[in-house]
Amino acid sequence: MLHIKPILSSLLRSKSGPVLLLIQIILSVAIVANASFIIQERLALMQRVSGVEESEVLTFSLFNFDPLIDKTAQNKIDQQILRGLPNVIDATSTNMLPLSGGGWSSTFNLGPDPDSAKSTPQFAMYLGTDHTLETLGLKLIEGRNFYPHELKDNLDSPSRLAIISSALAKAIWPDESPLGKVLYEGKDAQITVIGVVEKLQGAWIDSSSLENSVIQNVDYGSSSYMVRAKPEFHAELKDAIKKALLAENPNRVLDGFKSIEALKDSSYRDHKLMITVLIMMVVLLLLITSLGLTGMVMFNIQRRTKQIGTRRALGAKKRDIVSYFLVENYLICLAGGVLGGLLAIQLGQQLMKIYSLPMLDLSYPLFTVAGLFIVTTLAVYLPARKAANISPATATRSV
Amino acid sequence: MFFYYVDLAWRSIKKTPVLSLLMVLAISIGIGITITTLNVYKMMSFNPAGERSDELNAVQLWSQGPDSWDELNSLVTYQDAMNLRNNTLPKRQAAMFRTGMALQTEDVNFAPILESIRVTDSDFFKLFDVPFLYGNVWDKSVDTEPAYQVVINDKLNQKLFAGQNSVGKVIYLNRKPYQVVGVIKAWDPKPKYYDPTNGAFNDTEQIFVPFSLTPIEEFDVWGNTSGWKFETMNSYSDRLNSEKVWLLYWVELPNKDAVTSYRSWLSNYVAEQKALGRFTDKKSAADSVKVSDVATWLEYNHVVPEDNKILVGLSALFLSVCLVNILGLILTKFLKRAPEVGVRRAIGASRAQIFAQYMVEVGMIGLLGGLLGLAWAYASLYGLSAQFEVSKGLTHLSASMWIITPSIAVGTALLAGLYPAWVVCRTKPSVYLKSQ
Repeated sequence: MLHIKPILSSLLRSKSGPVLLLIQIILSVAIVANASFIIQERLALMQRVSGVEESEVLTFSLFNFDPLIDKTAQNKIDQQILRGLPNVIDATSTNMLPLSGGGWSSTFNLGPDPDSAKSTPQFAMYLGTDHTLETLGLKLIEGRNFYPHELKDNLDSPSRLAIISSALAKAIWPDESPLGKVLYEGKDAQITVIGVVEKLQGAWIDSSSLENSVIQNVDYGSSSYMVRAKPEFHAELKDAIKKALLAENPNRVLDGFKSIEALKDSSYRDHKLMITVLIMMVVLLLLITSLGLTGMVMFNIQRRTKQIGTRRALGAKKRDIVSYFLVENYLICLAGGVLGGLLAIQLGQQLMKIYSLPMLDLSYPLFTVAGLFIVTTLAVYLPARKAANISPATATRSV
Repeated sequence: MFFYYVDLAWRSIKKTPVLSLLMVLAISIGIGITITTLNVYKMMSFNPAGERSDELNAVQLWSQGPDSWDELNSLVTYQDAMNLRNNTLPKRQAAMFRTGMALQTEDVNFAPILESIRVTDSDFFKLFDVPFLYGNVWDKSVDTEPAYQVVINDKLNQKLFAGQNSVGKVIYLNRKPYQVVGVIKAWDPKPKYYDPTNGAFNDTEQIFVPFSLTPIEEFDVWGNTSGWKFETMNSYSDRLNSEKVWLLYWVELPNKDAVTSYRSWLSNYVAEQKALGRFTDKKSAADSVKVSDVATWLEYNHVVPEDNKILVGLSALFLSVCLVNILGLILTKFLKRAPEVGVRRAIGASRAQIFAQYMVEVGMIGLLGGLLGLAWAYASLYGLSAQFEVSKGLTHLSASMWIITPSIAVGTALLAGLYPAWVVCRTKPSVYLKSQ
C-alpha cells in the first residue's frame, strides 16, 4: 500500500516547500527537454556522412602572382608533381573544398530556353578532373568517370560533362536514370550527365541543398588543390609539397594546409559549441535540482523527527518511512512532470516560431520526466534511509 | 546597524556551513551560466559605431529581376556603386570589397605572404573613424585618378619596417610597387560592421588600396559574388558590367533630413535605371532602396546567431530554477531559526528589523555566489575559447560584467529571500518562548 492520502493531505498542509519543488521541477523539465532535443538534433547533423575520405584528403591553396605565368600549363605541371610525391594516392585541382563553408553554388536549367525552362535545385558546383573521384574517395554508383582527354581548361566550353550526387539525381529525375541527360546553362552551354556518385556534400553545412553536388570536367587550376594520402604522412607531405612546388616556380604563395576533416571540424564548431554549452546546462541543472531536493528532504526529516519516531513506535517499518518520502517525492515529480511537459511543448513551439527550430519531439519531455524520477529517487533515498534509522526512543523522548 | 547585521549574517552562515555552501553554489552556477551566455551575447550585439551609428548608413538596392531573390542583398553591383559615387549628397561615402594579394618588400629575403586586402575609397577612414599613426589616407583625387598608393596597419608596419615611419616607402602587391602613404593605429572593430558578409568576427584587413585601381588591376574578389541570373563571365569587364552583386556601399548622412533626401535621390536613381531597362522587378522605385544605419544593418546581417539568443533565454530560465532552489533552501534555513527569532522579538526587535537582518544575510549569500559565479564564467569562457578557437574578442569578460554580475546575483538572492524573510519576521514570540 502506498498510503497516498495521508501523504497528500500533509503536503497540502505545509504548502510552500512542495510548491517550490514543483516549480523547480516544472522549469527543469521544460529546459532539459528542449535542451536535449536541440542537442540531439545537432548531433544528428554532425553525424551526416559526407561521402568524402575526410581524414585522408589534405587540401591547400596556391596563389600565383607571377604575371608572366601560363596558369593553364602550370596547373597541369603542378598536378603531375603532386601525384609524383611519395605516399600520395592521388591529387587534383579544384575550385572549392567540401565542407569548408566557402565555394560555388549554382543552378542549371532543364531546357535550352532560359526564360521558360525549369531550373534544377541549388547545388554545389565542383570543377574537377579525372582524378577527383579517386582523390576524394567518392563511390561511383552509375555511369563512368571522366577520361583525361575530356578535360576542359575553363568554363567557356559550351559542351561539358558532369558527375552528380545521387541526391541531386533523385531530386531532378526521381524515376529515370540520369545518365545521358542534358542540363543547360544560359543559352549556349550544355552539360551532359555521365556518372552518379553515391554521396558528395557541398561546402555549406547549414544549407538545405548540402547533399546536391555536381562535378564538371573543368581543370580549374591555380587556386585550390586536394591531395589524398594516409593521415600519418600529412605533416611531411606538407613540407614536401611546399618544397616541390616552390622549386617549380618561386613566385607563389602556398597556404592553408588543412585536411577535410579539419575543415569539417571548423564548419561544425558552432554546433559543437552549442552542444557543449547545452550539455553543461543540463548536467548542472540536474545537479542543482537534486542538491536542492536533498537539502529540503533533510530539513523535512529534522522537522518531522518526532512524527517519524511516533510512527516507528506505533509499528511502522523502516521501509514504510523510506517509502513515505519516496511517494511524496513521486507525487510532486508527477505533477511537475505533467505541467513541465506542457511548458516544454509551449517553449518548444515558441522556439520553433521565432528561431525556426524543428518541432519538439514529444518523447523528450517523457524521457526527461523519467530521468528526473531516477535522479530524485537517489536524492530522496539517501536522507530518507537516514531518517528511517531514527530510533523511536530518542525521537519521542522530549515530548 | 548594517554592520551589526553583516556580523550576524556571517555568524549565521558559519553556523550552517553545508546549507550555506549549497546556496552559494546554486547561485554561483546559475550566475556563471547566465553571465557566460550574456557576455558572448553582449560582445556579439555590440555596436562598434557608438554615437555615429545613426550617421553611418549602408545602401542596399533591389536590383534583381522578377521571380529571383526574395530579399535585399547586402551587396550592390559595380555599375550601381559607380553611379552612387557620382552623387555628392552624402558627406562621405565609400565603396569596398575584400581581395588578397601576395605581399613582398624590397628585401629579397622576405618570403612572399598572402595578405587579405580591403579595396576602398579615401573616405573609408573618416567614415569609420580609423586613427592614423603616420601619414594619412591617399588624396581624394586618387579616388577618380588611380594611383598605386597604400595604407597599412601598425602591426604590418612593425613586421615590414620595424615600426618606423614608413610613409614614402614601397611595398609590392602581386609584384606591383605601391607607395605607403599612411599607417593606421591598431583598429579592429568587433563585429566587423563595415563588412559582416564574410565572417562578422574576422580580423580587420592589414592593407588598404584605392578602389579606383579595380578595373585596371582586376583584383580578385575574396568575398561573395552573387547573381540572380546566368551571365557569361569570361573577363573582368564582364564582371564590372554584370548584374552580379559583390560590393558594399557606405554613406555618411549627418541627420534625418539628409537620410530622407538621400533616399529620395536613390528612388529617382532607381527610376532612371528602370527606364534604362534595369531593376526589372515589379517593386516600385521607392521600395527598391534601403538605407540602414549601423544598428539596423547588424540586425539585418544576423550578426548575432540565433543559437546565441536561445542560449541566453535558456540560461535565464536556468537562473530562475536556481532562484526557486535557493528560495527553498533559505526558507528551510530561516524556519529552523524561528525560535531564535522568537527570542529576539520578545526582547524588543521590530518586524522590520528582523526582516532587514535576514535580507542582509541573503544579500551576503548572493554576493558570495556572484563572486564565485564570476569565477565560473571566467573559467568557462576561457575553456570554451581554448577548445573552440572562438574569437578572443567574444570570450573576453567585458568590464561591465564586474558590476552586472554581482548586481544580478544579489538581486536574485534578495528576490529569493523576500518570502522567507517575510515568513520569519511574522514569527510569534509566544509560541517559541512557551516551548522552551
